[in-house]
Parts: sequence; structure tokens; C-alpha cells
Amino acid sequence: MRILEINHCRKRFGENQVLNDISLSVEEGQVVSIIGPSGSGKSTLLRCATLLETMDGGELKYLDRAAVREENGRAVYAPPAELKKIRQCFGLVFQNFNLFPHYSVLRNITEAPILVQKRKKEEVYAQAKELLKKMGLSGREDAYPYQLSGGQQQRVSIARALAMQPKMLFFDEPTSALDPELTGEILKVIRDLAAEKMTMVIVTHEMSFARDVSDQVVFMDGGVIVEQGAPEIISNPTQERTIRFLKNFAR
Amino acid sequence: MKKMLAMALVLMLTLTAAACAETFKMGFDAEYPPYTYMGDDGEYTGFDIEMCKKVCEKLGWELELVPINWDTKLMTLDMGEIDCIWSGLTIDVIDPEAYCLSTPYSDNSQMILTRADSGITTLSDLAGKKVAVQLGTSADLLLQGDQKALADTFDGGEAVKLPNYNDCFAQLEAGAVDAIAIDIGVAANKIAVYGDEYVMLDESIASEKYGICFRAEDTEMCKQVEDAYMELVQDGTYQALAEEFGLDVSALCLLETEGE
Amino acid sequence: MAKMSLGTMILKMSEGLGTTCGIFFLTLLFSLPLGLVVTLLRRSRLGVVRGITKVYISIMRGTPLMLQLMVVYYGPFYLSKWISKTFDVTFRLRWSGDVLVPIIIGFVLNYAAYFAEIYRSGIESIPAGQYEAAQVLGYSRPQTFLRIVLPQVVKRVLPSVTNEVITLVKDTSLAFTLGCMEMFTLGKSIANSQSKFTPFVIAGVFYYVFNALVAFVMARLERRLNYYR
Repeated sequence: MRILEINHCRKRFGENQVLNDISLSVEEGQVVSIIGPSGSGKSTLLRCATLLETMDGGELKYLDRAAVREENGRAVYAPPAELKKIRQCFGLVFQNFNLFPHYSVLRNITEAPILVQKRKKEEVYAQAKELLKKMGLSGREDAYPYQLSGGQQQRVSIARALAMQPKMLFFDEPTSALDPELTGEILKVIRDLAAEKMTMVIVTHEMSFARDVSDQVVFMDGGVIVEQGAPEIISNPTQERTIRFLKNFAR
Repeated sequence: MKKMLAMALVLMLTLTAAACAETFKMGFDAEYPPYTYMGDDGEYTGFDIEMCKKVCEKLGWELELVPINWDTKLMTLDMGEIDCIWSGLTIDVIDPEAYCLSTPYSDNSQMILTRADSGITTLSDLAGKKVAVQLGTSADLLLQGDQKALADTFDGGEAVKLPNYNDCFAQLEAGAVDAIAIDIGVAANKIAVYGDEYVMLDESIASEKYGICFRAEDTEMCKQVEDAYMELVQDGTYQALAEEFGLDVSALCLLETEGE
Repeated sequence: MAKMSLGTMILKMSEGLGTTCGIFFLTLLFSLPLGLVVTLLRRSRLGVVRGITKVYISIMRGTPLMLQLMVVYYGPFYLSKWISKTFDVTFRLRWSGDVLVPIIIGFVLNYAAYFAEIYRSGIESIPAGQYEAAQVLGYSRPQTFLRIVLPQVVKRVLPSVTNEVITLVKDTSLAFTLGCMEMFTLGKSIANSQSKFTPFVIAGVFYYVFNALVAFVMARLERRLNYYR
């Protein structure tokens, strides 16, 4: 089943064409990594896909529900009620976690399911406990974000996203704000999720991790997809730009 | 927001014709002894307040004492918050076309008050000295107007303006100013309090008259008050109260006409 | 000659303290929420609304409170007088009832503008990531504001609000502009008739104790919000 489909996505900031005719689709259970130099447009693509940024043209579909369709070369967004439903399809894990500092760990995870999805409190609390256990954070329910390490905060934010029971998860450079010794614990959590066949799109600079965990790797540069395919393209890139990027990266 | 404001205004503002009060509202400056001030028991008193009480008694009016902000006294009168300004008001400076003014009840000279040890004995001694006035009083206006030439000789070329008499006295006491230009009644009152620490110069800088100010249309009210006032002059209340509050007898101009 | 007993002075000034407290509490009661409304209007999507709010704030901050009190109080009367004269009709608008009403309105309009600017700086200091996280989780705009942004704003603006509240305590003496005999004005008239400095000392003590209480309450509030950073 196709979860996400992006067709001919275009986005410009002033004179700067950040995304130029990007098409990408993600099947259920697939893990897609997006790599590329900074400024290549990969974060903008993620923000367009998660409706944090509006695209100028192209199509965006989740489970065949159209969030954005193209009319006369311009992007037309679905009505707010439909977008609200579509937002329930995905979760997003931010580079800077963006936990709510005034909420305890438990409330960070449980408020949206109770408030937005109107689910039963007991059920949500039980699920949150379960998720925290999975994240190795049992017993930290009542802690506040400032009392946690960066790695722990990021795990809470993954739990927060998962509590919404999304069809897929986006990760926006989930380890970039972490000390190198803490990145491992986050990568392990994502690996575990991949093993459970969670559908994920990950923007990352962790090349070996991307190769190991992904079903598909997308290399972006200058607002276009330069190369796309099986994770082996990281070891054996065919495009000249990809080769150059990976060479620089290895150094 | 605009709606809320409009609603509040409609609620709080009432549409009224000219003021028609049941009670007689006397507007006064609560800091103007011995005419109008707060007495030792915490109630307002003073020569003007006691006279007004007697006037209202005679006329069978109910009296409401309304302490006002002296700076906006005429606006307060215009608006009908008070029916008259009766508080050692120098009527010479008020436009008789715009307001109804009573016959003066006190002739009030503007004097110079100084410390006994200041060595100042004449107006010409004030050259180069610091002289304080209460902002907006007749002494202040005088030193900017008719007596500007005198003010030019002061230190700084003008009088030091202070918000109230208390500040003037405090500064005089502290030596921050050398003299105060002030109404005779107030000066005499201060000398009575402090004995011979302070003296008044023999020369006055101006002679002015105190009266009661009403709205222009209230001529009838003014007349009634004047008549009642004259009765109090005749039965001796006027002089008795003047003595009680330590007013200078020479200021009692109604008494003089009476004597003739 | 100074014969008023200390007891009478304190008693008399305490009467005025009631008025002072009334002005203080009523002003806070209305201006704290009104400030929030003003901030939201200031951030409105409608340019006209934003513009009007900006002008309102700049007038309130750019002119003395004393003048604003006079405009609130005398404005309607002189305006109606002018209209009567110009259009040959007879009507007069003036405040009826307690003078505290226009005083409170003047104070509230002024303080709401200051609070609005404090709130605005607080709202603008909340990182965009908080809004984005709430949006992705499906919070509606009001939910995001009330549950995510506002509580954090309260914590951030509390020190500035405390400053403003302490200023308000001292500003209450401006009520005399409209002839209201609050504590300080009563003290002044006692000082004047008694030729004594004592009433000012009493006034100073009253203000100081009042502000010490305010500071204490605000410090407790700040501590209560210290459970997170």
C-alpha cells in the first residue's frame, strides 16, 4: 500500500528555487533515507510533506487522500478539516526535539492523543507507559524535559510521535543536535522501529546508518533528486555529484 | 474592542441637561490653610469652609464638601462636579464674562515671606536671591505678569516654581530658597505657627481680592450666597471666624464697608 | 499648632488607602486580561486592526497617564459641549456616580497597553518549534495558544509584569488629578495643614509595605512556575 506520494513538488523562497520537480513515493513498511549537502532542499521537502511549509506547485497524497493537488500550475490545498485528518497519518521528529518544556514527559506524550484524537485516558496512559519502556525511559514519566539528556529528550519526542499511532514517521536530522556519544541510542531506536516495519522517511547525515536501515536512498542536491535507489548507491554511487558528496563526506 | 469601549461609555456616561443639584457642592483646595484645609480631627475646615457651612445653614441647603484638583478647578466647575469654587480664590484673574463672580470677601495682598535671619528687608534685597512660589497661584502669575521686572532680578531670572506651599516652606526651612511669594493670609498663618523664625516684608507685591466663583448661568445662586454672606457679616460671624482662623483683619474688606 | 494625633493621621490616611487599593486591584483585574486582548489584536491578521491597535498603544505609552485621565474624565463633556455649539443642539455628556469609574477606565486603558507590549515580547520569544510541534500533533490554533504558548509566556513575562505592578502602586497617587482623595493626597493635605513631615513618612511606609506584599506574592508565583525551565 502506498502511504505517501509526492509529485512534481516545487517550492521557491524569493529568487531561490529550493525544490524543483521533486517526486517521491513511500510504500507501507519502507524506510527511505534522504541524504545530501546542506541547502540541498531535503529539510524543506520534509517540511512541505508535513504541511509546515506550503508548496508552490505539485501534488501531495497520503493513503490516496489529496492534501495538495495542482490546478493551472499552482498548488491547491485541501480544506482545513481534510488537512486535519491527513495530519493524523504522519508523525514528525524534530532535530531540536521541540518538547513542551512546561509539560512532564507523560503529558508531552499523552496530551495530543487525549485532546486531539479524543481517545480514552486509561488507554493512552497505558500506551505511553509501553512506549516509554520501549524507549528505555521507564520511571521517567514525571520528569520535565530540562531534567533529561538530549538523547532522552529525543526518545521522548519519538514516543510522543508514536503515541498518535501514525501511519508513518518523518525524522528531520534526528541526531544532529546530539553529542556523538548520544546519537547511537537514537539510531538504535530507529533501527528497532525499522525492524517492526514502521514506515519512515529520514533526513540524515549518518551515511552508514542510512545504508543499513533503508530500503531506498534519495540523494538530493540543488533542489533536485540527483540519484535514487537501493541503499547500495551509497557504496557505489553512479552520479558524479553523488560521488563528490560522498567523497567529501568520508573525509 | 471598539464595541466594548462604546458600551462602557454608554453605560457610564449619562445624558444630562445643565446641572441641577439638590445639594450645594462647594469645591475647594484641601491644601490651602487657613481658608480650606484638613483640621486636626481629620475633617475639612478653614475660614471659607466654616463660612460656607453657615451660608448653607441660612439658606437651608445641604452642603457637600468636594476637594478638587486646583489645576483643573474651572473644568470641574464647568462640568457641574461642583457648584462653586470657594477656596481663597483670587477672582481678579478670572474672566467675569465666562463665570459669575461674587463680591470679594477678602482683600488679599501678595507678600514676601522670608527667614528672620535672611537679611532681606525690602523687595530690592531680593536681587540675586532664590524666591519660591506655588505653581499656578496668583503670586506665580503676578511674577510672570505685572511684577515680571521684580522676578527678573531673582536668581535664575524667575521664581522657583513648586507644586504646593508645603514644598515652598520645606525649601525655605532647608535654606534651598531665600524667600516665598505668597498670599498674606497664608504667610500670617505660618508666622503664627513658627513665631519669630519667619518675617514678612512690609512691602506687598500686589493686592488681590478673594471671591466665590460660580458658573455664568448661576447668577441667582450667586446672589443668594452673597445675601446670606452679608447677613453673616452683620451678625459678627464673619469677623469671629476670621479671628478664629488667624486672618489679617486688614484683609476683611466687607467689614470695612460695613464700618463706614 | 500641630495638634493632630498620630492615630488620627494614620486613621485618616487608611481611609485613603482603601481608595488606593481599590484603584490598584480593579486596574489589575481589568488591565491584565485586556492587555492580552490588545496583544492578540496587535497580532491580528487584519492590517486595519493591527494599525488601530498600534496607534492606541503608542498613544497610551507616549502621553502622560495624568493627561489620559483628564481626557477620559473631561473629554466627553467638552466634546458634547462643542458638538452642541457647532450643531445647535443641547446635550451634555458627563460622568455620573463615583469618580473612581473614569479613574479606573483611564488606568485600565493605560496599563493594558503596557501589559500588551510585555505579553507581545513574551509571545515573540516562544520558539517557532513549539508551534510546529503542536501543529504536527494536530492542536488547533486556540489549543496551541492556550495550552502550549500562553503558559510559557506567563512564566517569561512575570518579572516584567511585577515591575509594572509595582509602578502601578505608586501611580495610584495620580488619581488626584480627577480630585480623588486617595492615600497620598490625604497625606499631603494633612502635611500641609499640620506643617509636619510625618504624613509623608506614613505614606512612604504604606507604599513600601504594599509593594513588599506585591513583591512577595509575585516571587511566590515565580517560584511556583519554577518547576520547569
